[in-house]
Amino acid sequence: MAIGWYLVVSALIFCIGAGGVLTRRNPLVILLCLELMLNAANLALVAFARMHGGEDGQIFALIVMVVAACEVTVGLGLIVALYRRRLPIDVDELHELQG
Amino acid sequence: MNALLAVAQIKGPHLDWAGLSPLIALLGGAVTVLLLGLLRNRLVRRICVPLLTMLVLAAAAGLSIWRWHHAATLVSGALRVDDLSLLLGLVAIAAAAACVLLSLRAAAPAVAGEGEYHALLLSTVSGMVVLLAAQNFVTLFLGFELLSIPLYVLCGSELRRRGSLESGLKYLIVGSVGSATLLYGLALIYGATGSTDFSGVAAALSSGSLASDPLLLTGVALTAAGLCFKCSVAPFHQWTPDVYQGAPTPITAFQAVATKAAAFGIFLRLFDGALINAQPSWGPILAALAAITIIVGNVGALGQSSLKRMLAYSSVAQAGYMLGGVLVSTRLGLQATVFYLAIYLFMNMAAFAVIVARERETGEGDDIAGMVGLGSSRPLLAWPMTLAMLSLAGIPATAGFIGKVYLIDALVDGGYAWLAVVLVVGSMISLAYYLRVVAAMWMRPSAGVAGARPIMAGGSAEAPTATRLSGLEVSVVAALFGAATLVFGIVPSPLLSLARDAGKALTGIF
Repeated sequence: MAIGWYLVVSALIFCIGAGGVLTRRNPLVILLCLELMLNAANLALVAFARMHGGEDGQIFALIVMVVAACEVTVGLGLIVALYRRRLPIDVDELHELQG
Repeated sequence: MNALLAVAQIKGPHLDWAGLSPLIALLGGAVTVLLLGLLRNRLVRRICVPLLTMLVLAAAAGLSIWRWHHAATLVSGALRVDDLSLLLGLVAIAAAAACVLLSLRAAAPAVAGEGEYHALLLSTVSGMVVLLAAQNFVTLFLGFELLSIPLYVLCGSELRRRGSLESGLKYLIVGSVGSATLLYGLALIYGATGSTDFSGVAAALSSGSLASDPLLLTGVALTAAGLCFKCSVAPFHQWTPDVYQGAPTPITAFQAVATKAAAFGIFLRLFDGALINAQPSWGPILAALAAITIIVGNVGALGQSSLKRMLAYSSVAQAGYMLGGVLVSTRLGLQATVFYLAIYLFMNMAAFAVIVARERETGEGDDIAGMVGLGSSRPLLAWPMTLAMLSLAGIPATAGFIGKVYLIDALVDGGYAWLAVVLVVGSMISLAYYLRVVAAMWMRPSAGVAGARPIMAGGSAEAPTATRLSGLEVSVVAALFGAATLVFGIVPSPLLSLARDAGKALTGIF
């Protein structure tokens, strides 16, 4: 199997991810698109590791997965904090109504 | 089964604990600080946590100085601790120490939790140390992310202020696009050369047959773009003003200096080390980027009234100057970049310390109006700011002048005289906005401005004038870094010799 096809798919996924980050407004969708970009790189890494016959690329891909998880965790945390900042106003009002 | 287990021994790499010691100090310190922050005693959290953080930073700095001139390759070639990584690591450590002092009475650590805030700061610094010492793509990427992810959180650490959270999320999105681009570029370089080690890449490139390989060139371009995001080189700089303005000011001060040092450090290591043989293909492109960056940064800063936004655009322009030192790929350029990164610490930190002080003393936030009349009311704050502005502009007798002359020398020597002209023109434009701050401080009377403005809407009666001082430590930081700007402008030789030592770290350039 030629390496070219793997690269084409990976480049396609990378471009979809980049396009999504640039055009979408919802931060959750943007985080998903960032994952696409990182996973496109992972696909390329694994394909190249197969081509060169070493395990460097595969180890790199595993590490990238861990890092991607960290990044998404922080991103989700920030999004939750942003939403929550609006919430206390409502919650306080509820408390006052209850007396 | 037991026999099998007995035979199957894991052969780990030999660890040189002495070489790793600054990193171990930082990471161990981060964990300890985090645990100490769990104590409920307010005194412990308010005083002991910052104190312990300072001790950890001092230990890391001491260990780095101890390793000076002891270049070593660690963890089977994954890291290389040499004078280049140590010097730029010291810049990051100094910036972190200043950040701890500036945030002693800031809102961010109180809101986010002292332990968490300082532990994140320490882990960012350890990420920088890893990144600066990286010798293969895996450690490069790990260091890059260990630097970035805690910094995203720190930018959003003032949880109750919308601007801070927004800046954190913006930085996360743009920063992650940058790191994904970097990663894709690294993957392509790996594909083209078959190696993830810098030395392996350099060896594969030295044959010359790969020089026009499209896979390699795409990879190099994407890698450069990813690093440019972090260094805020135009056209990848758009996040800079927003993030600088929204983040808590001590964190802005830290990241403006330390992130630049780490990102340019790895720029030097990767492009002037591993990819040096492809220099004819990436040199002119980076030169064009540097010219655009200088123009965009300096013109963008002209119209800003917020000092943090102005310094953000100014940092874009300064990144353009420093990129000039990277792209010439000579030892002179390397030394000039390292020297500039070191003095950038002094001048930027002095300016940001004064901004922190004025944010607390006046109700103006970081607006330039907060500086009006500072020369007569608070000369101890006005002098460091003046020195920082003059140094950033490159006026003689300040460190910025020496740095710029060094960079111009490197550019002319490396055959990029036109870029040196752009640098000078950019500095001339920059005088307009730097001198505006100086003029606001010294040439307008403060009477009726500082006193008449209410500190807070509906504020209590105990804050009638500008006597609500910002705290001694902020003035000390401002004075210290302001004085360093002046001292190294008049006696630059100690810093120059350090930069020369750091310049010897890379072997492939002349």
